[in-house]
Amino acid sequence: MEPVLDQSTKVKTQEKKKLRWKNPIIYTVLILFALVNAYPILWMVINSFKTSQDFANNQFGLPKEFTLENYFSAWQTANLGTLFTNSIFIVVTATALTVLIGAIASYFLSRFTFKMNKFVYTFFIFGMLIPIHSTLVPMFILMRNIGLLNTPITLIFPYIAFHLPITIFILTSFMKAFPKDIEESAIMDGCGIFRVFWSIILPMSRPALATVLILNFIYNWNEFSFALVLINDPELQTLPLGLASFAGQFTTNYGAQMAGLTMSLVPILAFYLFLEKDIVKGMTAGAVKG
Amino acid sequence: MNAARNRKFFIFLGLLPAMVIYLIFAILPILQSFYFSFMEWDGFSDMKFVGLRNFSDMVEDPLFWNSVKNNIYVVLASVFGQVPIALFIALLLNRKIKGLKIFRTIGFLPVVLSTVVISLTWNLILNSENGLINELLRAIGLGGLAQNWLGDPDWAMISVLGVVIWQFVGLYLIIFLAALQNVPDEVLEAAKMDGANEWTTTWKITVPMIWDTIIVAVILCIAGSLKTFDLIYVMTNGGPAHSTDVMALYMFNETFSQLQYGYGSAVSVFIFFFSLILIAGSRKLLGQKMI
Repeated sequence: MEPVLDQSTKVKTQEKKKLRWKNPIIYTVLILFALVNAYPILWMVINSFKTSQDFANNQFGLPKEFTLENYFSAWQTANLGTLFTNSIFIVVTATALTVLIGAIASYFLSRFTFKMNKFVYTFFIFGMLIPIHSTLVPMFILMRNIGLLNTPITLIFPYIAFHLPITIFILTSFMKAFPKDIEESAIMDGCGIFRVFWSIILPMSRPALATVLILNFIYNWNEFSFALVLINDPELQTLPLGLASFAGQFTTNYGAQMAGLTMSLVPILAFYLFLEKDIVKGMTAGAVKG
Repeated sequence: MNAARNRKFFIFLGLLPAMVIYLIFAILPILQSFYFSFMEWDGFSDMKFVGLRNFSDMVEDPLFWNSVKNNIYVVLASVFGQVPIALFIALLLNRKIKGLKIFRTIGFLPVVLSTVVISLTWNLILNSENGLINELLRAIGLGGLAQNWLGDPDWAMISVLGVVIWQFVGLYLIIFLAALQNVPDEVLEAAKMDGANEWTTTWKITVPMIWDTIIVAVILCIAGSLKTFDLIYVMTNGGPAHSTDVMALYMFNETFSQLQYGYGSAVSVFIFFFSLILIAGSRKLLGQKMI
C-alpha cells in the first residue's frame, strides 16, 4: 500500500503546482466569458441613466450626472404602463389555465387506463414538434374568422395550446411515479375522482407544478411572434411587441430605448435571481424534453 | 356498471378542455395551412384553387432559396458555435473553482431574457455611429475596423449569427455542467494516477462519457435554430438586401406585406415538413429516440 499512497501524494503535489499556474489562465477565460455575457446588459443599464450628450462622449464610464429623464420619456412615449398591464394579464391567465387544464389532463393520462390513453398522450406530445412559425399564417386567418383578432384575450388561446404539450409531458411523467395504492385507499374512503385529484395528486405534484409554472411564465412573458401577427392595436400590445414597435418608431432616441428595455428587464431579472435554481431546472427540462 | 360508465364520463370530462383548445389552436391551423396552400387568396376576396402553383412559384423564387440558405447558416452557427463554446466553458468550470455559482448565474442569464430585449440591446451595441462595438474599437485605436454591422450586407448575417450564438450558449453550458457532474471522480483519479494529463483525460474519458448529452445538445440546437424568427425580425427584418432573410421571415413578409395568404401557407407547409424531417433525420442519424 505504501508506494501507491506515495505515488498518489506525489501526483497531488504535482497537480497542485500545475493548478497554480493554470488557474490564472482558466480564470481569465472564464472572466472574459462572463464579461461577454453580462456586459452588454450592464452597458445598457448604466447608459440608460445618462443624458444623450453624456452617452455620446462617455460610453464606458458611469453617468457624469445621473438622470431619470430617459425613464420619464420612455414611460410616456412607449406607453409602458399599458404594456405591463397587458403582459401581466395575458401571462398570468394563460399560465394558470395551461397548468390547470394540463394538470387535469395529465392526471387522467397518468393514473387511469382506458382504450385511447396512449393515443391521446402521443397526440399531445406531437405538439412539441410543431414549428410555431408554420402556424402563424393559418392562426391569423383562424382568429380573423372567429372574430378573435385584436382582443384582450386573443393571445391566451395560442399560448395555452402550444404549451400544453410540454406541460402535459412533464406532469404526466411525474404523476406516473406515484404508487398506485394512494388513490385506491382514498376512493375506498369515498372520495370522488376530482377530489382525489385536487386534494392528493395536485399537492403531491408540487415540484413538477413549479417547473411547468415557471416554464410557462417565461415562455409567455417573452413570446413575440403570435403577438406580432394577432395584435396590432397599440392598447392591446404586450411588452415585447410594444418595445419592438417603440424602438422602430424612435430609432435614434437611444436613451429612451435603453430606459424602456431596462424597465422591462427588472421583473424578469428579479424573478431569475430569486428563483434561479428552479428557473434553470425548469428551462433546461423544457428544452431537453421539448 | 354504473360506476364504470361514470368513470369513462369523468375521463372524457377531464381531457376535454385540453383537447378542445389543443385541437382548435394548434392542430387546426396546421391542417388549414395545407388547405390554403392550394389556393390563391389575398385574404379578402374569394379563394381560387390553383393546385400546386404556389409550390412551383416557391421553388422558382431565388429569394426563397436565399432564405433557406440563411436558415442553414443559422443551424450551422448554432451547432458549431454554441455547442463547442458551451462545452469548453463547462469543462473549465467543472473543477473546484471559486465563484462557480456566479459564473453559472451569469452564463445562463441571456437564456432567460426575451428575444426582443436581446435583439434591441444588440441593435444598440452594433449601432454604426455610437454602438458599443465601434466605440470600443475606436477606443483601442482600431477605429478602421469599425463597421456598419447591421447595415452592410457583408456583415449583417455575421453580426446576427454572433447574437444567435450569444443568446443560447448558457443553455448548453448548464446542460453540459449537469452531465459533467455525473462523471465519476474515481475514473478520472485513476487515470491521473496512471499519469494521464488533463488534456488526455478530457478527450479520452470525460468527453466520451458525456457524448450522449452532446448529441442531445446538437439536436436541440438544430430544432431551436429552425425557429429563428423574432431575433432577425427585430434586428434587421431580413435586410439589408435580404442578406439575413430566413424562411419564417420570408413567409411572414410574403404573406402580410404582399397579401398572399395562399402562397404564405405553402411556405408554412414547407417549413413544417422541412423542420420535421430535419429534426427526425438528425435524431435518427445521431441515434436518438423520437419523442
